[in-house]
Parts: sequence; structure tokens; C-alpha cells
Amino acid sequence: MLMMPVLDLQFGERIVTLMAALVLVLQIAMVSQRWIVLHIRIFAVQSLFLAMIAATIAWYNHAPHIYIAAVLTLVVKVILVPILFERLVTRMEIHEEIEPIVNVPLSVLIAGGLTLVGYVVAESFYRPDAPGVGHNALAVAISLFLIGFFTMINRRKALTQVLALLSLENGLFLAAISLTYGMPLIVELGILFDVLVAAMVLGILVYRIRETFESMDVSRLRRLRG
Amino acid sequence: MIERLMENAAQFLLLLVLSPLVTGVIRTLKARLQTRRGPGILQPYRDLRKLFSKGIVIPETASWIFTATPWVVFFSTILAGLMIPMVAAEAPLGLFGGVLAVIYLLGLGRFFLALSGMDSGSSFGGLGSSREMTISALAEPAMMLAIFTVAIGAGSTGLTEIAGAAIGIAGAAIGQNWRFLAPSQMFAFAALSLVLIAETGRIPVDNPDTHLELTMIHEAMILEYSGPYLALLEWAASIKQLVLMTLLINCFWPFGLQPTWFGFGAVEGICWLLAKLLLLSCAIVLLETVNAKMRLFRVPEMLAVAFTLGSLALISTFLF
Repeated sequence: MLMMPVLDLQFGERIVTLMAALVLVLQIAMVSQRWIVLHIRIFAVQSLFLAMIAATIAWYNHAPHIYIAAVLTLVVKVILVPILFERLVTRMEIHEEIEPIVNVPLSVLIAGGLTLVGYVVAESFYRPDAPGVGHNALAVAISLFLIGFFTMINRRKALTQVLALLSLENGLFLAAISLTYGMPLIVELGILFDVLVAAMVLGILVYRIRETFESMDVSRLRRLRG
Repeated sequence: MIERLMENAAQFLLLLVLSPLVTGVIRTLKARLQTRRGPGILQPYRDLRKLFSKGIVIPETASWIFTATPWVVFFSTILAGLMIPMVAAEAPLGLFGGVLAVIYLLGLGRFFLALSGMDSGSSFGGLGSSREMTISALAEPAMMLAIFTVAIGAGSTGLTEIAGAAIGIAGAAIGQNWRFLAPSQMFAFAALSLVLIAETGRIPVDNPDTHLELTMIHEAMILEYSGPYLALLEWAASIKQLVLMTLLINCFWPFGLQPTWFGFGAVEGICWLLAKLLLLSCAIVLLETVNAKMRLFRVPEMLAVAFTLGSLALISTFLF
């Protein structure tokens, strides 16, 4: 009887690790993706897994406030933000493919290398006796952060950069829930609304850039225009 | 000794009979999903019978390689098929090499196929050979990395050990502490699935139904073959598809594998195999229907993803 919760906790940890690995697979898929609509959908699925990770942690650690974070993630990142972006894509009639600065195979290999960096960094935070989901989820979180950052640098168009920023934020969320079982609810709420507002503002900004410069290529912003 | 021979014979028959069926099921399911009627799941058998009754035309420029290739391809594929666990965890021919022998037997077949493509003297053959070699040279490292990950998890490159570790042959509990839930297995599975698509010539990489010169890969190599030779090559291609699909499902989901081929267990094992194959076929059909064929120069991108996932899989087995 005494063993059961421990076993449960181990099983929960395995599930979380597995889903974290899936999140990482999706992040690498995002790096290699050329179609913006698919890119947005992969982001939605990734966020769905993130919400599931949060729910699993809440279930196995009996921490009800994480459920709220999970539901908020589901509503904001899986439903609202993708719908917002897909409408933006249809309104701006984007048909061309994403052209990264570094070519795709090399980008994917760099993403793999960044994952390694993530693991090496996470290793130094690992304490076998400390509570928490373990270094796997943290390593994935750091990798998500690094790959998201790299993707932002690697893209020319503003909209794809915003998507990379959001997947970077997914990494932060994963780090927060895996290390500390969630930040205080008010912080969590703040971050999610921040993301929502940022996505909306950036959406409008992207639209304006497009209207003014007739392109979303941010390198054109350097030019003066009277 | 007799038992071994019977096992071999049983798996040999299963490979021969089941492989056209898998091709037929995939075709029919795909047709239904695209709201066509489709030719029926037995059509590959009819095609084979028709081809076996036709005459053979051999190009004037062809050498002995052209006539030897169908036999080499067919028998190397069958041999590879006998070395994987299909119904029983213990493969009938698991004497040497394990999974490495399987992969390089398939490699031998591919090598001869590419040679014969060039041997026929047609420009399409050479084109097909060069494309096939480009893709397989990129797919092989990813495949090896994924396979090694699984082998490290099981502690052996023998397929019997890999599949058997999960079903309790060595006294381990079912699932061996949820081995297949580990992230490294996840990465390896993703990598191997991508490689499977490339190796079996499925749609994002190659279209098995086309004879359009811009896109065909496998079909271009066997363009000059006719009659029984073509039948052997077609049969070998569907056996290869069956072998790779079985390899994927029995490495990662070895549920329902029986300890041996004998007794009532074999029936249960065959049912499990069919169920798993059907599930995988559905996934392939879905993928083929929602995707358009990739441009040839985009294929390396997909295989780069597979390679990265494979190396992450291998590295992560050491990190955890």
C-alpha cells in the first residue's frame, strides 16, 4: 500500500518524459517545416502536449492549481493563438514557403546540436534526491528555449519569428512546471495573457509591416521610408 | 532440426502469401479514402499470375547482371524476411548477424537493382539508379542510428533478443519496465518511421504507382523488365515492404509475439501480426493521402530530420 503512490509517481514521471520527448520531436519538425499553416498547426499540437504534461503533473502530484495552468494553456495556445494566426495568414494571402537563412538540413542538425547543449546544461541542475520531474523535462525545456531562439534568428519573415518566439515561451512554461510544479497562479495567468496580448499585438504589427513595406521581410525595416 | 526447418518453411510461406495482400490492402484502403472503388485487395495476386504467364524481353545491351538481378533481389529479400521475428519472437534463421544482416541483405538487393538499372542501357534506368542510391545513402545512417538505439536498449543486435526482451522470454516482465516508453525509443521510432517511408518508396518520397519520368525512382530502375522477371521484382518489393513494416512493429510494439512457432500460439501470433500490420497500413494510407509527393531535392531535408532524430535517440540512451 505504501508503495503505490511511489510507483504511480514513477509512472507519471515516465509519461511526462515521453510527452516531453514528443514536444521536442515537434519542435524539430517545426524547424524543418516550410508551410506556414502546417507550422501553426504543429505549434498547436505542441502546446496541446504541453497542456497534457501540466495535467499529468497536476494529477500525480495532487496539485490542483496546475490544472488551471493546463486549461489556460489549452484555451490560449491550442485554440486562440492558432486561430488568430491562421486568420492572419488567410487575410494576408501568404502563399510562398518559409525561406530560412541557413538551409533546412543544416538547421535541423543545428537544432540537434542545441538539444545536446540543453542536456549538458540540464545535467548540472540535476539532484537525484531533490523533488521535481527530473532532468529530462528540464533538458527538453532548455532545448526548446535554445531551438526557439535559433529559429527566430534563422527566419526572415516577421510572422514566423513570432511563432518561434511562442515556441520559445513553451520551453519556459515547461521549465517552470517541471522544476517547481508551477509558478504561483497569478504569475501563470500573467504570462498567458501576456502571450495572448503579445500574439495579438504582434499580429497587428506584422500586418502593418506588410502593408507599409509590401513584405514581411524584417531586414527591409532598416531602410528609411518617408 | 526438423522443427527449425518447419519454422523456416512456415515463415517462408507467410512472407510469400502475406506480402501481396499487404500491398493490396494498402491500395484498396487508399482508393476508398479517396472515394474511388479500387481494384480489390486480391489484385496484386492476379497481377503476379498474369506476369508469370507472359514472355520475357531482354535488352540487347544487357549482360548477365540483368538476368541475375531478379533472383538475387528476390532471394536476398526472402532471406532477410526469414531473419526477423514475425509470429514467434525467435526468428527462424537467427543464426548470425541479427538486425545488421537483415539491413545489409536488403542493401545487397538494392545494389543489384541499381546495377541492373544501369545495365539495361536505357537512360531512365540510370536515372532511377542514381536517385535510389542518393536516397538510400542518406536513409541508411538514420536507420542504423535508430536500430542501434533499440539494440542498446535490448543489450543485443539479435532481433530475437530485441523482440524477446519485451515479452518475457528471458523472464522479464511484459514491457520490460516500460522500455518502449523511454524518450530514446520515441526518437528512434520517429526516425525509423521516416526511413521506412523512404525505403519502401511511399508517397512523400516516391510514388509506387507512377511511371512519370520526372518523379519515378523505383519504377525507373525496373522499367526494362517484363514477364516473370518483373513479377519477381514486384513480389520482392512487396516482401521488402512487409519485412520493413514487421521490423518496425515488432521492434517497438512486440505485443502478441509467441515464444515459438508451434501450437495454438501461432494462430494467436498471426492474428496479432495481422492486426498490427493493418494498423500500420492505415497510418501509411493516411500519410499518403494527405501529403503530396516531395520534390526530389526536398527528400534530403526529410532524411536530415530522420538522421537528427536517430542521433538524438542514440545519444539520449547514454544521457538518461
